[in-house]
Amino acid sequence: MLKLTFRNLAANKARFVMTTFAVVLGVGFVVASFVLSDGLRSSFGDLSDEITVGTDLQVRPVSDFGEPPPLDQDLVDRIASLDGIEVVAGFVSADDNAMQPVKPDGTTISSAGPPQLTFSWVADQGLGSFALVEGTAPDEPREFAMDIDGAEANGFVVGGSYDLVTPIGVVKDATLTATTRFGSDNSTLGAVLMHVSLGEAQRLFGSPGTVDEIGIRLAPDADATAVAAAISGIIPDSGVEIVDQATLNSEQKADFNQGINIIGNVLLGFAIVSLFVSIFIIYNTFSIVLGQRVREMGLLRALGADSRQIRRTVLGEALLVGLFASLIGLIAGVGIARGLIALFEALGASLPDAPTIVALRTVILALVLGVGVTVVSSLVPARAAAGIAPIAALRDGARLGSQSSRRRSLTGAALIGVGLMFGVYGLANPPGTTLALVAVLGLAASLVFVGVSLASHMLARPVARVLGWPIAAGMGTAGRLARENASRNPRRTATTGAALMIGLSLVSTVLIIGESVKSRLGDLLETSVQADYLIVDDSEAGVTSDLAAELAATGQFSAVTGFRYDEARLSGTVSEVVAADLTSLGRLLSLDVRSGAIPSDEAGDVVLLHMDQADELGVVVGDVVPAEFATGTTIDLTVAAIFADDTVIGSPIVPNAVFDSAGSADVHQWVAAALADGMDPDLAQPLIDQIQQRYPQVSIDSAAEFQARFEASIDSALAVVNALLALAVVIALIGIANTLALSVHERTRELGLLRAVGMTRRQVRRMVRWEAALVAMFGAMLGVALGVVFGWGAVTALPVNFADTVTIPIRRITVLVVVAAGAGLLAAWLPARRAGRLDVLKAISHT
Amino acid sequence: MSLLTTNPTATDLVAARAINLTKIYGRGDTEVRALDGIDVEFHQGQFTAIMGPSGSGKSTLMHCLAGLDRITSGSIVIGGTDLTALNERRLTLLRRDRIGFVFQAFNLVPTLTALENITLPMDLAGTKPDPAWLDTVIDTVGLRDRMTHRPSELSGGQQQRVAVARALAGRPELIFADEPTGNLDSTTGAEILSFMRRAVREMEQTIIMVTHDPVAASYADRVVFLVDGTIVDDLVDPTADSVLDAMKRLGN
Ligand SMILES: Nc1ncnc2c1ncn2[C@@H]1O[C@H](COP(=O)(O)OP(=O)(O)O)[C@@H](O)[C@H]1O
Ligand SMILES: [Mg+2]
Repeated sequence: MLKLTFRNLAANKARFVMTTFAVVLGVGFVVASFVLSDGLRSSFGDLSDEITVGTDLQVRPVSDFGEPPPLDQDLVDRIASLDGIEVVAGFVSADDNAMQPVKPDGTTISSAGPPQLTFSWVADQGLGSFALVEGTAPDEPREFAMDIDGAEANGFVVGGSYDLVTPIGVVKDATLTATTRFGSDNSTLGAVLMHVSLGEAQRLFGSPGTVDEIGIRLAPDADATAVAAAISGIIPDSGVEIVDQATLNSEQKADFNQGINIIGNVLLGFAIVSLFVSIFIIYNTFSIVLGQRVREMGLLRALGADSRQIRRTVLGEALLVGLFASLIGLIAGVGIARGLIALFEALGASLPDAPTIVALRTVILALVLGVGVTVVSSLVPARAAAGIAPIAALRDGARLGSQSSRRRSLTGAALIGVGLMFGVYGLANPPGTTLALVAVLGLAASLVFVGVSLASHMLARPVARVLGWPIAAGMGTAGRLARENASRNPRRTATTGAALMIGLSLVSTVLIIGESVKSRLGDLLETSVQADYLIVDDSEAGVTSDLAAELAATGQFSAVTGFRYDEARLSGTVSEVVAADLTSLGRLLSLDVRSGAIPSDEAGDVVLLHMDQADELGVVVGDVVPAEFATGTTIDLTVAAIFADDTVIGSPIVPNAVFDSAGSADVHQWVAAALADGMDPDLAQPLIDQIQQRYPQVSIDSAAEFQARFEASIDSALAVVNALLALAVVIALIGIANTLALSVHERTRELGLLRAVGMTRRQVRRMVRWEAALVAMFGAMLGVALGVVFGWGAVTALPVNFADTVTIPIRRITVLVVVAAGAGLLAAWLPARRAGRLDVLKAISHT
Repeated sequence: MSLLTTNPTATDLVAARAINLTKIYGRGDTEVRALDGIDVEFHQGQFTAIMGPSGSGKSTLMHCLAGLDRITSGSIVIGGTDLTALNERRLTLLRRDRIGFVFQAFNLVPTLTALENITLPMDLAGTKPDPAWLDTVIDTVGLRDRMTHRPSELSGGQQQRVAVARALAGRPELIFADEPTGNLDSTTGAEILSFMRRAVREMEQTIIMVTHDPVAASYADRVVFLVDGTIVDDLVDPTADSVLDAMKRLGN
């Protein structure tokens, strides 16, 4: 019987090629996600070694929450005087994009991509990890250095003078004194790495006389434990820690791995969706091919093969196809991984040279997944084939036996029900980790997908008839036959459409979530924000409070306040805390105060609490809540008001004075402003432009502009997700092409007859293509319908601040269905061509 | 052999003519001369049968005459059109508009009803059938109550009658039938054959039928005998007996 297995495969090569292709793509992406993350992990591991190798000990501030205050710079000298120390240096580093150099063309480097990072220069290469390539280290104010690739890519030359956008405003005419190299090959991942002198870093990003951390290299014969003990003798008892090189190294690696794991897992997730889609395609291929071989199977049975042997032959075929496809997928995966790295590089991320690591677990997983998916998909067809009676050999038109239509629909409905229950349960009681939630929802969705594909054969005929009506009416006989063909095999149409349904349901779910979030934001901006302008820092660094002060000083605004963020421990629980100018606050945001009132800014140590948090803390207006800050300061805050609207801010709000006395940084994350009564926005514009010029790193938006910008950022996130889902859609389209090719083969005689009585090649091609378009549209509409259900579930599960009512982007979804139909037309291009080229005479005599 | 192609009624117009028609399959050692220099004319309003032993070239001749197959040399003229000058598309349109077909089996498109199958060539052309003529044809085949049925709901004989109706519905210049009764029992076969004869007699159709059954051939006005790709005999107004006699003669 094994011989037969091989023979069958050889005879049906062409029919299995496309099936193989679906598995190859799915397995390929699984392999690529592992090869890519293994390779990156290894090279970033090397990079971590390189970064940390020169630092034996590090002294740094710590706190359980919030931003701890920096270290006193005197500590550097005091450590230097200890025994066993070779080099010691204090570091100050800026937040991402805090400093943005202005390019020769007058623009800054986009802060949407890899970050722009600035550090204080440390001459010792072991501690600093940087070497000078050209020029001298920055030493004076208004001097900086940049990594060689960043300088070259953005047109900065040593000796040139450039403006720098910094948290304290624009630093004019700074000199680029040097280009530098990070580690051995400047693997910056596309980040731009810059240096200024320690003094300049303190002026721009920190505070004078303080450092963020202290790096230490020990003398060759020194004992690390003894030196660490000596250091702990001279540092404060709390708020400062000493870590060794091993700790630094593993922290660094963990830091890199976090990012790598995200990339790897996201890729893996989409690869698994694709593999899931291929199940439908493989199932279809086996069903159709076996359906065409019923007589042959009957003959085998008549000649004495028992049904177990038949089943084994079919499963053997699946095993071989799966094995073959997995091996190709393994090779393809390595290629895809290299391609993705090339893609990242093309997008501007310079990655360290990643080795190609094909770990044993990758190989095993590829084989298990590829073979598993293929064999599982062929189980049902194999059982049907095993049920073929010997008499089928003699009967014309014997068909592959299958589950009754009723049972199939009932099974489908049951699966849909269980899947939906699972999904609702998962959303209502979300498990602890994201991974578990994704797993539960993924399982729920899979059950629904399989259920719909089983039950939807009931819909295939009526839907194809309705959708096909305009085609039949407009396209003549070819159109009418396309419609008939799409509805003649409802199960085939349903399974083929289901493959496409999966991808499209996910795409439309994503679109619906995005649209609902956008529309919720629109409502929120309308009801909760009264500010005319929202000034948001594009970097994470925040801007100096000077900006808000300058705006207020113009006298054209009735209310201006910046918002400062920190963390504090309130009655034992750590919470985000916001500081603002309370006098202005009420005119900028609608907090919906339920009790008490927003006091003036000079009210002293007060706090405004959201009602939920007030309930949790068990306090009412007039009660006192102690707040402990990361600096160690504790301030007793009197509850002045309790508010209900947490759209913009749900955290406790305190006057600026509280942050000042707690020692929190005087940096605004964003600023809101309202025009003075009767002030014409057009007249205010020059003022706005002037501020914008001085602080190029912020965006000054009207509420409408803010909304547009936010919507654009949602759209670009949606675009990325949908681009990844496109893989699943492409595989489904391959499935449509495959089914059509098999159907064309099956209908050879019919096509011959049509050609003989005068159907032109063009009409034949058109007939096949429109059948594909109908199948695609059927799948797309099922997908959209499911997408609405899923989207509804997701929107309901989302916090009400993100989305509250389901908003369906009708236009985009219509476009989606139309594009799917178009893609179906395109997918059927090859089968249609083959159908058109059939030799009429051979087709007529085909058996 | 060319003396056998004489015109029985000289005034008749020629529906199809083959001139020195040769068809060779394969090359070199495997070369098969399926048709070897055939000259023949078929007349309008006549029912002609082509007979001959298996492998004599009957189907090949029919396929070439109908524009389904390319010829090696010579020429074929259908109603004044030289087929050798036509490209694939023109040939298809010629089949659609000017020729009708009845095959031995698998004559109907399974997804279309009987009526839709009958009007298929006209639907493909985007033309409307002549309703009076269509009525006549449907009444003649006697399947009016089955017109909305699919082929799978019709018996073999009914399917062949629908096929004949399709061939007639467009009033083609010429109808080709390849063993139309080969798959039917003799009673049903006789029904189809007499129906075809009526189409020629009463509706002035022209039919060329390939058969190896002398009884079937006896329904025709003329029988042409093929052996090894050449025409060896030509009988006018045949009976089953005269056909059998001719076959015996050729067998020797
Ligand atoms: N496609 C083909 N390729 C090669 N030889 C063929 C082909 N079709 C027919 N023949 C050969 O041509 C000869 C005539 O065949 P055919 O016209 O089918 O005969 P008939 O219909 O009289 O039985 C036979 O010898 C047959 O083997
Ligand atoms: Mg034949």
